[in-house]
Amino acid sequence: MPNATAALLQGTLDVLILKVLALEPMHGLGISRRIAQITNGTFQVKPGSFFPALHRMEQAGWLSAAWGESENHRRAKFYRLTAAGRRQLKEETNQWARISAAMAIALETP
Amino acid sequence: MLVWHQLKTLWRNFARKQGVEADLDAELRSYQEMLEDEKAREGAPPGAARRGALLELGGIEQIKEEVRDVRLGAGWEGIWTELRQSLRGLRRNPGLSTVVVAVLALGMGASTVVFSIFQSALKPLPFRDADRAVELMETRLDRGMDQVAFSQANFWDVRSQNHSFQEVAAYHFDEANLTGDGPAEKVRFIQVTAGFFRTLGASPVLGRDFSYQDDQAGWDNHVAILGNRFWRKRFGADTSILGRTLRLNAKTYTVVGVLPPGEPWIDEQVYVPFGYRSDADRGSWEYFVIGRLKPGVSPAAARTDLERIAGILSRDYPKEDKGIGFRIEPSTTWIASNTTRRALWVLLGAVTFLLLIACLNIANLLLARGMSRQREIAMRTALGAGRARLVRFVIMESLFLSGFGAALGLTLAYVAIRTIQTMEIRGIPRLPEAGINSWVLGFSASIAVLTGLLSGLAPALQTPARGIAAALREGDRQTGSRGQGRLRAALVAGEVALSFVLLVGAGLLIRSFSQLMTVNYGFQTENRLFFSVSMPGSYWVNGIGKQFLDRLFERLSAEPDVIAAGAVSNRPTESADPGMGIDSSSRRSDPRPPWAGWRIVSPGYFRAVGLPLLRGRIFDEGDKPVWQVRGQPVPDRRVILSDRLAKRIFPNEDPIGKHVLLWKGQGDADAEIVGVVGDSRERGPASGPAATVYLPYGANALAGEFVLHTRSYPLALAPRVRSIVASLDPNLPVSDVRSFEEVMQRSVAPQRFNAILLGVFSGLALLLATIGIYGVVSYSMSRRTSEIGLRMALGASRGNILRMTLGQGLRPALLGIMLGAIGAWWLSRYMTTLLFAVKPFDALTYVAVVVLIIMTAAVACYLPCRHAMRTDPAIALRIE
Repeated sequence: MPNATAALLQGTLDVLILKVLALEPMHGLGISRRIAQITNGTFQVKPGSFFPALHRMEQAGWLSAAWGESENHRRAKFYRLTAAGRRQLKEETNQWARISAAMAIALETP
Repeated sequence: MLVWHQLKTLWRNFARKQGVEADLDAELRSYQEMLEDEKAREGAPPGAARRGALLELGGIEQIKEEVRDVRLGAGWEGIWTELRQSLRGLRRNPGLSTVVVAVLALGMGASTVVFSIFQSALKPLPFRDADRAVELMETRLDRGMDQVAFSQANFWDVRSQNHSFQEVAAYHFDEANLTGDGPAEKVRFIQVTAGFFRTLGASPVLGRDFSYQDDQAGWDNHVAILGNRFWRKRFGADTSILGRTLRLNAKTYTVVGVLPPGEPWIDEQVYVPFGYRSDADRGSWEYFVIGRLKPGVSPAAARTDLERIAGILSRDYPKEDKGIGFRIEPSTTWIASNTTRRALWVLLGAVTFLLLIACLNIANLLLARGMSRQREIAMRTALGAGRARLVRFVIMESLFLSGFGAALGLTLAYVAIRTIQTMEIRGIPRLPEAGINSWVLGFSASIAVLTGLLSGLAPALQTPARGIAAALREGDRQTGSRGQGRLRAALVAGEVALSFVLLVGAGLLIRSFSQLMTVNYGFQTENRLFFSVSMPGSYWVNGIGKQFLDRLFERLSAEPDVIAAGAVSNRPTESADPGMGIDSSSRRSDPRPPWAGWRIVSPGYFRAVGLPLLRGRIFDEGDKPVWQVRGQPVPDRRVILSDRLAKRIFPNEDPIGKHVLLWKGQGDADAEIVGVVGDSRERGPASGPAATVYLPYGANALAGEFVLHTRSYPLALAPRVRSIVASLDPNLPVSDVRSFEEVMQRSVAPQRFNAILLGVFSGLALLLATIGIYGVVSYSMSRRTSEIGLRMALGASRGNILRMTLGQGLRPALLGIMLGAIGAWWLSRYMTTLLFAVKPFDALTYVAVVVLIIMTAAVACYLPCRHAMRTDPAIALRIE
């Protein structure tokens, strides 16, 4: 586990959650672990910001939630992407691409 | 889609809060269990796995709190918490809260009462396309008459010759005795042409309208339509009324319809068709006429059209229609005349002022409290409350107060409206319909919000008045900056200015009302009893009515309590005012002969009503009615004139024995003047002395308004009068039994109502302004207790201190008086039409108001000052 866990940028968590859920519906712990995995452990998601984000996105209509059974036969709440969530992911992906490109240029300029 | 989803979510967050919470709880627990599973799989012993899971999770309660914060509508929950907090704050300070709520309840109650009267008086008419309905009147501008009723023949001509009206209809007022089927009752019996209700835009709620056949010549089916109120009162809203028969003046009518409720025009008791007659009279002005403009025709175009008809009529019938013109009145003035509208607007303006004063007062009180709460506010600021949040908190508090005030005010208003309604004030249209309806509730709610915002504004902007540290350091000491003192003084000045305007308005109305009450009526009103007896048509043949009147006078005069008894055809101030052109018969024709009201009187009338005989004699048995009986020779006509009329026709001559032409230009009946009596205000105190011709009663000239001069309290005689009339003819209804004083009072009821209401409002305004001044002075006194102690210890006299305080309290009052005088001068011009014998800029009223305000302000200053001076200087100095 790398020490330098980056502080989550505003809005980063949302787009990561959307990205993870784009593949398949998943429960909370699953999402959390997958985010750590796909960012090579750069982002450690703290439950204190993770749950509010999940609920905010659900209330906004990007995610829908339903109770189901986990791989270890536990009752767990599964989140899936809605149509609105897919649109949101597309939009945020484009935006991130623009931002990271701009930041890269800005930082490489001597 | 998304909006729908969010609405559903919002609903769930509020309505199923427990379910949402339980779900969150379960979710977090399952997360925790899965974490434990994970740790256990990695080989941790059960205890360590659990500890690790909890550690990674962090505080469960904090997570829940943060999730709650992102829920939709979470901000509102914060507001709810704040509401509860401010409610607690108000409970902690019950004295202040009670005063504020009471002040607001008075202000809002008064505004609600006036608004509800205003709303019911000015709401739209219950007719389809009422803007196309108009009233038509004849005019004879060459004789100074700008509105007279139609003659029947002129009506038929206007109806057939106009091009601008979809329909024109006439209405003729009459009274009839309804007999059989219960006690005899005098009913208002209206003849209308067939299209009358269609012209108005009203349809019967039951049965049918009159068909055009109903007013065909010779079509003698006696049908009747009932007014809604009469139908409810007399027939208990019986829906099987259709087809029933009524006996009116001994003729039988079949009921064919019932009108909807409402007014005007459709609120009378019985309507019957009015037959077309080719030999209709052209000289007698008796018919009210309404018209419905064709779509797209403007009143101005209709006026031009009517002018064309007037030209034809005056050419074809010069004898009756010389100088004829027409006038159109829009339906907006049917219910409330322009004067009434003006009066209602003035009252509404007055309550707005009163409410503003209440707002200023409360702003002042809240400001004062805000200063003593600096510490609390500083504490809140230190704990992280932002300015916006503090402002919201203060505004919420004043909204709370105004909400309570509005609720209490509504209750007060309900009681007040009921009380006003029992007073039966004439001249306020639709007063019985006024009440708390959805409009009034809406008004009340919106003024509550406005008042809350307005009175909370100044205190709210003052909240973070100074640095937190300073406020905390100063602790509980009651302090306030100079700026706050000035703001409060400015608020007081505003209150005084508004009160000044209200007091001037009330003063003007009260002055003109007292002028109205002290004018010389000409009549004697003391110990006079009036009552009406309505005589059926059969009384007009074979002298039956004359015999009845003579027997009645004989019986009444025999009563020990009666000094004199008489009768007149129209009761002063109340009934219609029939009139005629009249001029000297010897003079060459005057193009504009005088116009005079005419009254049929019995010889005893003048003595009974207290009109003095100035010249000549009163009528006696030898004087016969001026109307010729068919088949008899022209009678020797004799008349009595009122003084003013006699002087107008015969300026420098003795009128006794001179001859005049009655109904000049409409019949020209020659009559001899036998007497002149004093002038009287026949049309009520507000109109000048009337020009009147008195005509003798007789077999074909009956008078149904009786007046008795009594020895004692006139109304005590009422039961005796009823039994005497019943003993002569049990079928004759006696109605409108009133003392003459009451008759006169009723005629000025609207003026009295306005004066009283405005008087009450301005009294309240003065009270509030006094409270304001008192508050400012006593607050600054309490701040300066030590200073005063020091001054007194150093030898200042009580007089010095008093002068200092008075100066402080009177300064805002004087400023307010100056502003108020300007405002009153500017606004009182709108009251001119409501005043009687008083100029809008009445020096007496202005001076009285200035004196009144200065005196109350001085008292409001003196009380706290006395308190301050009583403090022992030693104690006062130690207060620091």
